[in-house]
Amino acid sequence: MPKWFTPAAVLCGLMFVISPLLIARAPDESSMGMVYKIYYYHMPSAWMFLLAPLVCGVSSAMFLVRGRPGDDRRAWAAAELTVLFGALTLITGPLWARRAWGTWWVWDARLTSSLVGWMIGWAYLILRRYGGPGSDKLAAGVALFGAVNVPFIFISVNYWRTIHPPTTVVPRLPVEMGLPLWFCVFAFLLLFMLLMTMRLRLEETRARLDDLYVALDE
Amino acid sequence: MSATPFGRSLWLVLRKDLTVEVRSREIAYTTLFFAASCVLVFAFALVREGRAPEGGAAGILWIAIAFAGTLALGRTFERERQSETLRALLLSPMPRPAIYVGKLLGIVALLVGTEVVLVPLVVFLFNARLFAHPFWLAGIVLGGTIGYAAVGTLFAAMLVRARSRDVLLPVLLYPVVVPVIIAGVQGTTALLQPNFDAALVRFWLLLLVTFDVVFVVLALWTFEAVMSD
Amino acid sequence: MAALRAACVAAVVIGGAAASTALAAQPPQPQDEFRPVGNSPAPEQIPAAPLLIGAYVVVLGGLFAYVVGLSRRLGAVRQDVERLESEIKRRGR
Repeated sequence: MPKWFTPAAVLCGLMFVISPLLIARAPDESSMGMVYKIYYYHMPSAWMFLLAPLVCGVSSAMFLVRGRPGDDRRAWAAAELTVLFGALTLITGPLWARRAWGTWWVWDARLTSSLVGWMIGWAYLILRRYGGPGSDKLAAGVALFGAVNVPFIFISVNYWRTIHPPTTVVPRLPVEMGLPLWFCVFAFLLLFMLLMTMRLRLEETRARLDDLYVALDE
Repeated sequence: MSATPFGRSLWLVLRKDLTVEVRSREIAYTTLFFAASCVLVFAFALVREGRAPEGGAAGILWIAIAFAGTLALGRTFERERQSETLRALLLSPMPRPAIYVGKLLGIVALLVGTEVVLVPLVVFLFNARLFAHPFWLAGIVLGGTIGYAAVGTLFAAMLVRARSRDVLLPVLLYPVVVPVIIAGVQGTTALLQPNFDAALVRFWLLLLVTFDVVFVVLALWTFEAVMSD
Repeated sequence: MAALRAACVAAVVIGGAAASTALAAQPPQPQDEFRPVGNSPAPEQIPAAPLLIGAYVVVLGGLFAYVVGLSRRLGAVRQDVERLESEIKRRGR
């Protein structure tokens, strides 16, 4: 693991431990009361859920063009994180929605395309696991379509009438709400990089193992 | 008409597929029958007191197209795999995009042939006044079909040599084309509204066209990149 | 070929941007979207605390579970690597 890993991991852990305290001190919201505070974890998860398929898509494109295994490993790692952060987003969202909107789920543009993006992440992982040889390139092709879905998720709330809060909410947050939010965003971003690093290390070690098996046979 | 290598290759691929299909009609008949069975199963499942629900027509039509499309894609590329013709095509000096577009148009033709029977069937079973606005209907159905086929042709071609390809095609294809299917369903539903709103239908049609453009362009690039071995 | 690829990628990006602007130019008409109507109690009656705590438990628990799972996988592969390396050394003698 790189040198910055352990200090960063410690920092990240501390930030996550502190975050509930910061969030508890933030004020309640006028129409939603206390439950909106789910948002301090829901939104950073959602942003990571949007970031991961973009990383996956760009890495996949680079892999298809250059053919370097490092790009492929990064794409696979990012796909796993898509599924992880997608799950967190799609669970915390409905928990908030149940209270704020009175319903667990609506089939509006953002939620539907988010669910779709999550399923594309699963499809990538299933393909890597069961597709046999050559599935690295196939999965890269699928990842491109997953990446194209992301801007659609993001802008959909602005163009369709939907009960999901639009993207104008974040820039207009008052300071007492903004500070804990950006703190959590930074914590999640740091976690994202740490998880990517760990997952990449796993893939590199697996490749080393394959080389060793080959060397053993010789 | 000056036939460029692209145009000539495209025509050759398309003509081959159409010729094979016209002679055997195997995929056309099986796809059509399967699609009709889908519609009937849904109709029976949703029947209440001897009458099928009228609001279900749009969704059922597009589900039948999606399922039948998967079947058609699988069978078409299975045929290619058995004779190794896809490999032969890729080894030939044909430009790759021409191969992709040729196969795409073949699949679209197959699906449109199925829809020609499917849409009247849905109209008949669900009392759906789809033919009130035939040009809008044609636009929506064609737009959705092209979007679906664009991604489907790419993925089916990519999976030709993969393990578990039969089950992997739906797993990969359906999430990606869900936006297209939704737009198709919403557009078709808009056509069935008693107070017809052309602006609404136009919105969904424009969205379908956007998907088609983005998907076809992306698929062209990906086909080139993935199929070069 | 590289120029064709670059052109394709550029077309996709421009197509995506054009799509967004086109959609912006067309104000969306009111859509009757399917919303599940359940016998859901009025929002004020659903207690917020269990939902809030549940959400945080899910996130922290999920992240922790993933990290633990990842460490385990990494540890297992590293063990295999060490085993093979010592095996190769042994045979090399």
